[in-house]
Amino acid sequence: MGGNTLTRAWLALLGLSVGSAVLTLLPVPAAVMGGGILLLALIKTRVILAQYLDLACSPGWLRGFTMVLTGFSVLIFALYLI
Amino acid sequence: MSDASLIDELPGELLMWVLIISELLVFGAGLAAFMGVRLTDPAGFAEAQSHLHRTGAAFNTAVLVTSGYLAAQALRWRQVARRVPARIALISAALLGVVFLIIKGTEYADKAAQGINYETHPFFLFYYLLTGFHAAHVLAGVGILLLVSWRDDARNIEVGAQFWHMVDLVWIMLFPVIYLLG
Repeated sequence: MGGNTLTRAWLALLGLSVGSAVLTLLPVPAAVMGGGILLLALIKTRVILAQYLDLACSPGWLRGFTMVLTGFSVLIFALYLI
Repeated sequence: MSDASLIDELPGELLMWVLIISELLVFGAGLAAFMGVRLTDPAGFAEAQSHLHRTGAAFNTAVLVTSGYLAAQALRWRQVARRVPARIALISAALLGVVFLIIKGTEYADKAAQGINYETHPFFLFYYLLTGFHAAHVLAGVGILLLVSWRDDARNIEVGAQFWHMVDLVWIMLFPVIYLLG
């Protein structure tokens, strides 16, 4: 993987982090804010796994990690909404 | 596809992946327990969370992902025999780890000044347990990054960077749950 891909991943992570911060400032319902924040975090974990940890070269493993982390995010979101 | 070839697909050190999965499970269980206990006192958890420094923690997210970028970049450079830039990147990544710990330490000191400790509310028990355990990993990671910047074989750097990305991953999971979902 080239340096440009890594740099794009880094910029994406910074952008997603800013997105989370902006979301907390918007007058949106708690469920939308919570869901949005967890979705952005899930995307960030996928970027780190795929690009920093090189799982983009192992799609089966990346898919497996993504499924487990998605399940975890859904669990946290469900507990948040109760 | 056989199990052996599936395992062979994993980049880097297999045992480090075992550690990464174990740590994600431990922190994931801790965060799920945190959200479970929150159900017993949502208002108290929200009030306790209002004492946290969201801005500092958000800044720490940027610090860690930048540090992770430098660690990943160091490996790329070392693989093409660019040893000096790789070493500089690793040391810079470690220094950003120190920045993270200083900000975290400031946050803890502020809580102590307010008389807040792990007994103040169940929220803070989880807060200190999870962020403290993570900070211990950051401290270990700083040491590992400095070690592999010295013993800069590409394989060493790969393992060190894997550990550091795990620390990054855990924080990305931990930050929204502890600091934002009030």
